[in-house]
Amino acid sequence: MYVYDSFDHTFVRERNAEFADQVARRLSGELSEDQFKPLRLMNGLYLQLHAYMLRIAVPYGVLSSKQVRKLAHIARTYDRDFGHFTTRQNLQFNWIKLADTPKILEELAEVEMHALQTSGNCIRNTTTDQFAGAARDEHTDPRPWAEVIRQWSSIHPEFTFLPRKFKIAITGATKDRAAIRVHDIGLHAKPEGFDVYVGGGMGRTPHLGHLIKSGLPGEQLLSYLEAALRVYNRYGRRDNIYKARIKILVSALGPEEYARQVEEEWNTLDKAKIDAPSAEIVRIQSFFPNPAFTDKAFDRVAFERAQLADAAFARWVKNNTHAHKRDDHVSVTISLKPVGLPPGDASSAQMDVMADVADQFAYGELRVSHEQNIILPHVAKTDLYDLYRQLDAVNLSTANGGKITDMIACPGLDYCALANARSIPLAQDISQRFADAELTDKIGDLQIKISGCINACGHHHVGHIGILGVDKQGIEFYQILLGGRADEKAALGQITGKGLSAEAVPAAIERVVQLYLKLRTDESERFIDALERLGRDTFAEALHEPA
Amino acid sequence: MSQLNSSHTPQLVTSDGDIIPDGWTLLSDEDTTGVDGPYVLGFDRALRDLDGLNGHYGVRVNPADDVRLLLPFIEKITLIEVAFPGYRDGRGYSTARILREEGYTGAIRAVGDVLRDQLFHMLRCGFSEFLVKDSDPAGAITAAKTRFTTFYQGAADAKRPAWALRHNA
Amino acid sequence: MKLLTANRLTDGLTLWHTGTGWSEDAANAARLDDEQAETLLAEWKTRETEVVAPYLIPLTSDGNLVQREQVREFVRANGPTIGQTADALSQAHGRADIFES
Repeated sequence: MYVYDSFDHTFVRERNAEFADQVARRLSGELSEDQFKPLRLMNGLYLQLHAYMLRIAVPYGVLSSKQVRKLAHIARTYDRDFGHFTTRQNLQFNWIKLADTPKILEELAEVEMHALQTSGNCIRNTTTDQFAGAARDEHTDPRPWAEVIRQWSSIHPEFTFLPRKFKIAITGATKDRAAIRVHDIGLHAKPEGFDVYVGGGMGRTPHLGHLIKSGLPGEQLLSYLEAALRVYNRYGRRDNIYKARIKILVSALGPEEYARQVEEEWNTLDKAKIDAPSAEIVRIQSFFPNPAFTDKAFDRVAFERAQLADAAFARWVKNNTHAHKRDDHVSVTISLKPVGLPPGDASSAQMDVMADVADQFAYGELRVSHEQNIILPHVAKTDLYDLYRQLDAVNLSTANGGKITDMIACPGLDYCALANARSIPLAQDISQRFADAELTDKIGDLQIKISGCINACGHHHVGHIGILGVDKQGIEFYQILLGGRADEKAALGQITGKGLSAEAVPAAIERVVQLYLKLRTDESERFIDALERLGRDTFAEALHEPA
Repeated sequence: MSQLNSSHTPQLVTSDGDIIPDGWTLLSDEDTTGVDGPYVLGFDRALRDLDGLNGHYGVRVNPADDVRLLLPFIEKITLIEVAFPGYRDGRGYSTARILREEGYTGAIRAVGDVLRDQLFHMLRCGFSEFLVKDSDPAGAITAAKTRFTTFYQGAADAKRPAWALRHNA
Repeated sequence: MKLLTANRLTDGLTLWHTGTGWSEDAANAARLDDEQAETLLAEWKTRETEVVAPYLIPLTSDGNLVQREQVREFVRANGPTIGQTADALSQAHGRADIFES
């Protein structure tokens, strides 16, 4: 992974000093809350329902074991012993003291981390494929490009006060695991250059991104992004917070006109001043080599014997491992979705164990997935059973990767000051209802995504089943969306049927799922395929209690 | 509790930290130009009148104004006031950068909701004067200029980005 | 009748006004008459080095919160509902002992 040099260290230290000064000015009263708020947000510090929340950046979801141990230490020392992994591949702490934040940032800087630009109307953490550098279907490693973007976007002087937040995602594989078409800018890195999608997003007005450029050379990526952001900064709406994202500008102008304006702006730029030279790209790429793969032979017989003897292990292998570019390795999903517990949470003790197993079995490397799980990108198959048993000891062996209980859920009204309804208790109820692992295996791949408000942090628009919490005269209600997907066939789910109470949702989902099991052609037809074949109307009735 | 910075009377400070008097008069669209100049014209008036005017003028650019429209008259402009009606409105940063990219070398002044924490960004985008609300405008400039020694992008100032220093490019 | 709530500047924790000072426990919140509530709110809005974002929660005559804010204020007063099922919580929503006027 990328290793800071003296420039990077200096930058973070200087940025932390600036923030420490801002905190001190707020505590002394020199800054009012109104003045301080945008400054603290620029550093990921929110005031939520119960306390301050600090969102820590995990650039493109990549973590070392050392960093994970530091996060565990921060959870233990400054918070309530756990953290929450987010759909932006970041980590949130829920009870951080304002006065402690400078100290916490110092601790993070020791392990080359920060909280910069995890909020505010600026360029946020670039997200990418959690299996980057490991996946069998990858043609271009997106991580170096995400790092190039991270550096370029850090305290970008022109783009710190954009009309609204700005999210970039990048993939370099055949299967899109980074949901690039629901991002402000989605990049598909290909050997022949970048495909650039613009204007995707969720929230109040969901849109799929439009392809505005193909074959963009990597050496000109930054100047092209600069032009794209400048057009947005100048012409994006600022009169209405709900219409300020770039998707609204792109849909108002039309993608062709937006693309034309970007091209025109791009031509005026002094590209040599903006684009990092190839030598810098090569330097950054050099930080992402393959690990020194173990030459331990894969004992297939022992591996198969272990699966025969331990059905839970066999299920975990089936559901929680992903094809690696090497036959003797896999990528492992450590599920943070144990039945009945909040999606995406990990205790300090669990973080420590994940760091330990990463050192022992995964070359010290971990990832955060946007599905709120932890990934070990490179694990030798021969080590899987040992790894599994260590994870199992701390309730990290839930074998539900990609299954109905592997839900995305935002923190919702249990924490978030913006939410209209709770997400986590609903996720807990649904996962209880589908606690039977044999049933979830039978159901197969099915993604449920839950947001507690229209801002869609829980990605409900792109869940096969999406759930949106709304507030109906003080009562929590949930609208159900069917048919969304975030992959390379990205589609937006449509609200189906009437809103349901929290108690009614799990049963409604069960009826839909039972209908799917009845109607599917065979096991190979996934829920989303059956839904697309049969249409939403077929399933709409099942959402409601039969009269 | 000490006084809030935003309640300070704005003072004009240069990028060198000098407090300077404001010798310019902002003309309303009805005012006629007299002998009391120099004058700052509103954007629309500048587009309408600059062609027929002699001498040097200032122009007030609001966030929605396309500053490139001034380029035909740029020789007659020695001050461009970029208005920040609220600190959250970041269009003025692009305005300043475009001016510098187009070769404008006159003064670019930030006016409006200008607070010390924005000065760093403004300096990098090419602003040269600031009507800043702060108890210590000169100190605010010094802080903005010394806070960072590492930069990740090329911008309107002379700072070399980290990649340039890394490769001596 | 109203409750006055805010967050403490230094640690962000939710506070409830007891009539004489602040408490972290919503059970100690004072049911303030409207005039007293407005006076206290105006006072605390200016004390920005102590608390952040003070606001009033109106109570209705039947002791329930004004509907719109019911779940939010319940969660704010009781902490995250994690670990309880939504079913159990929906029962608990009827519980109004903290917010009774």
